[in-house]
Amino acid sequence: MNKLLNKSLKSFTIYALIVLAASVPAYLYLVDSIWLRELDEHNEIVADRTENELNNLNLSETELNQSIMLWNKIQPGTNLQKTTLEKNRKDSTYTVSRKNPYVTHEDIDRFRGLSRVIEINGQNYLLTLETNVEETEETVVAIAILTFLFFLILVVGFLILNRRLSVKLWQPFRNTLAKLKAFNLNTQSNISFEKSTILEFEELNVALNKLIEHTVSVYKSQKEFTENASHELQTPLAIIKNKLDILLQKEALTDRQYQLIEDINKALTRVSRVNKNLLLLAKIENHQFDDSETINLSELTQECIEQLQEHFSNKELSLKTSIEKDCIVTGNRILIEILINNLLLNSIRHNLLKGTVEVKLSKSGFIISNSGRTALEQEQLFKRFKKASDESSGSGLGLAIVEQICKRHHWEIYYDFQKETHTFKISF
Amino acid sequence: MKILIIEDENELADSISEYLSEENYLCEFARTYNQALEKIESFHYDCILLDIMLPDGNGMNILEELKRQDKQDGVIIISAKNALDDKIKGLQIGADDYLTKPFHLSELAARIYSVIRRKQFGNSNTVRQNELEIDLLAKTILVHNNPVILTKKEFDLLLYFIGNKNRVISKSTLAEHLSGDFADMLDNHDFVYAHIKNLKKKLSEAGCESYLKTVYGTGYKWEG
Repeated sequence: MNKLLNKSLKSFTIYALIVLAASVPAYLYLVDSIWLRELDEHNEIVADRTENELNNLNLSETELNQSIMLWNKIQPGTNLQKTTLEKNRKDSTYTVSRKNPYVTHEDIDRFRGLSRVIEINGQNYLLTLETNVEETEETVVAIAILTFLFFLILVVGFLILNRRLSVKLWQPFRNTLAKLKAFNLNTQSNISFEKSTILEFEELNVALNKLIEHTVSVYKSQKEFTENASHELQTPLAIIKNKLDILLQKEALTDRQYQLIEDINKALTRVSRVNKNLLLLAKIENHQFDDSETINLSELTQECIEQLQEHFSNKELSLKTSIEKDCIVTGNRILIEILINNLLLNSIRHNLLKGTVEVKLSKSGFIISNSGRTALEQEQLFKRFKKASDESSGSGLGLAIVEQICKRHHWEIYYDFQKETHTFKISF
Repeated sequence: MKILIIEDENELADSISEYLSEENYLCEFARTYNQALEKIESFHYDCILLDIMLPDGNGMNILEELKRQDKQDGVIIISAKNALDDKIKGLQIGADDYLTKPFHLSELAARIYSVIRRKQFGNSNTVRQNELEIDLLAKTILVHNNPVILTKKEFDLLLYFIGNKNRVISKSTLAEHLSGDFADMLDNHDFVYAHIKNLKKKLSEAGCESYLKTVYGTGYKWEG
């Protein structure tokens, strides 16, 4: 994954490269034309001076000719010739490249030339002046090197800035992100973002706050709904139950009527249980249980088993227990008792007649396994109202509660089916 | 015996009263918090059934008021909330028992019976029915002055029947009473039958009349 700033860095670098590359010919043109103009000026000044000085010398015809001969010999890059050209002829400028005869290495030099008609002692002469000028290629190379240097400085600068910006500029974003990552809908801890002076981040925070508030309120009302609905059901359930109790006392009941009442009673008990379990789930999720008690799990497990002893023997189950002494856990006693009872009851209900149940408790975990015929569906197992097997008439919430209680205590629960044995394992 | 039912749900209050009045309990009602306060100030009750969620106040305050006035009335909280905090708090403030809705009237009757017995007979809490003598405190029974050893569950059942004399109690109700919350999670209620059978057998072997009758095939009734 690319970092956002690296993306912009890449674009900036490419753009800088293009602009700087394009600047090379522009600089070249500029430097070259300045060169030439200045040299032209220089040549003109030299020409003016030459004309003036020669005239001021007031030399005789012979002396002048000798001087011009000497001039042409020793003054490099200049030439003075008698000419028939008119004095007011327009100056001509030109550029010429040729070999420099005074240096040994093979090199072509570029010259800027001026040829002008000057008048000395009334005689017209053609003065040609040539001045060495830097070659285009050399200028190009110099400018390119310099430009490249600047490009390097830019890129290095970008990198440093980028690193700094990504630390500083993105700090509010990072803070927000960290808070979002830590946010847990279940704990309903309020999330408050740090105020940012950057418009975009502030907008993001405001939008996130709105979203979270909405989510939390929906989540809360959904949970409250479960809790409230369960509460509201308690009273009518109680009324039905009590009316049935009274009906049962009526003198002239037939056996059939009694049986009907009993059937309604049983169904009612189931409804009550579903209701209670839903309430329990809502309460666990709403963190309405203190979980800082210290519990001797070994004793608790033993107690639960004893309470259910008769149900083990009713189904003629052989119960094997290996309970390590003094396994201490921290949590909520009531919830843990429910957890153990639910698992034990499951091991009885989903067992075969004369089957086996094995309970193992150690400091690292709790394992309960019982004989059975078919494996339960892993995916459906801990979901509410999803019966993982079609054998029984449970509330469909027992294992959901078990899972929630494990979650609450940060324990892991696993299910496995091997060799016709269901195994639930909780690791602390 | 006077009972005060503090309950805003009329249907519930009426059912409770109907069930209890046949047991020679005299029931009075308080539908609101204020009514309840008035009643407890002016009268003495053997037992108060207190719904802690009242439309105009918290039932817990009534408990505190009772304690402040140093009243000795027995109190059973009946609540739609199965909140442990409430239960502990209620029992600490001075309630004698706590029952979560929905409950069976027989369960309520048995609890009222225990509370009243405990409150009024204190140290020598013994119930007698002809040759049968039950010591509620020591949890022992005598038949013709000979001790009969009952298991905890059998004794529990016996007490339940004594608190619901001449009432029909169905097997499923007994199953709920015996197994608490998870009665419906058990495939069958045969364990109830086993306990009843043992109880009957022990009593008759000791020479006790068979007060415990089977009705409608699977219902039970203690005659006395």
